[in-house]
Amino acid sequence: MLSIWKNGTPAHRRYVLRTWAFMVPYVLICVAMMTGAFEPIIDSPAGWILAVAVSAPVIGQIWATLSLMRESDEFVRALTAKQFIVAAGLAMAVAVFWGFGETLAGAPHIPTWLIYPLFWAIYGAVSPFIRATNA
Amino acid sequence: MKNRLKLLRVERGWTQEDLGRELGVSRQAVNALETEKHDPSLDLAYRIAVLFERPVEDIFENPHA
Repeated sequence: MLSIWKNGTPAHRRYVLRTWAFMVPYVLICVAMMTGAFEPIIDSPAGWILAVAVSAPVIGQIWATLSLMRESDEFVRALTAKQFIVAAGLAMAVAVFWGFGETLAGAPHIPTWLIYPLFWAIYGAVSPFIRATNA
Repeated sequence: MKNRLKLLRVERGWTQEDLGRELGVSRQAVNALETEKHDPSLDLAYRIAVLFERPVEDIFENPHA
């Protein structure tokens, strides 16, 4: 993220700012959830409001990524699309694998919301290896 | 796609940043073109041709010829 800020285009810097704007509230809500701050509203209608609140930044982050592509040149646009597709495909493959593992092999249950941080972890891991748009 | 972009750029004493500014693309895009990691769109190829005042075929090798 720091290298994108230092070496990137103005579109990249706007992307970094937007990412922070969406990720900070997402992480804060996740931390509050994991520390039990929302225990009183679990299993109540207010729980749905919290679910919407924590998933809204996910939509925002997708918008930030699409904005980066719209505001960038054709190379950055094609490269970002390729990295995004590979990361999304691998994240889906892991989720499907584990889902069938739970159903067929008694694997322990993992919350489905983990697919989002998993996707970005994979995105960060594969991006350094995807540097060409034509290979 | 094989090309003479780096040669033409250096002949003019331009950095990748300079060429990117002339073309309206990022330095990363210029680098990707020069290292054959990105095949330009027809629009970008024509913009490059106009900038260097040469036919597209003089800059980019036709892989189908």
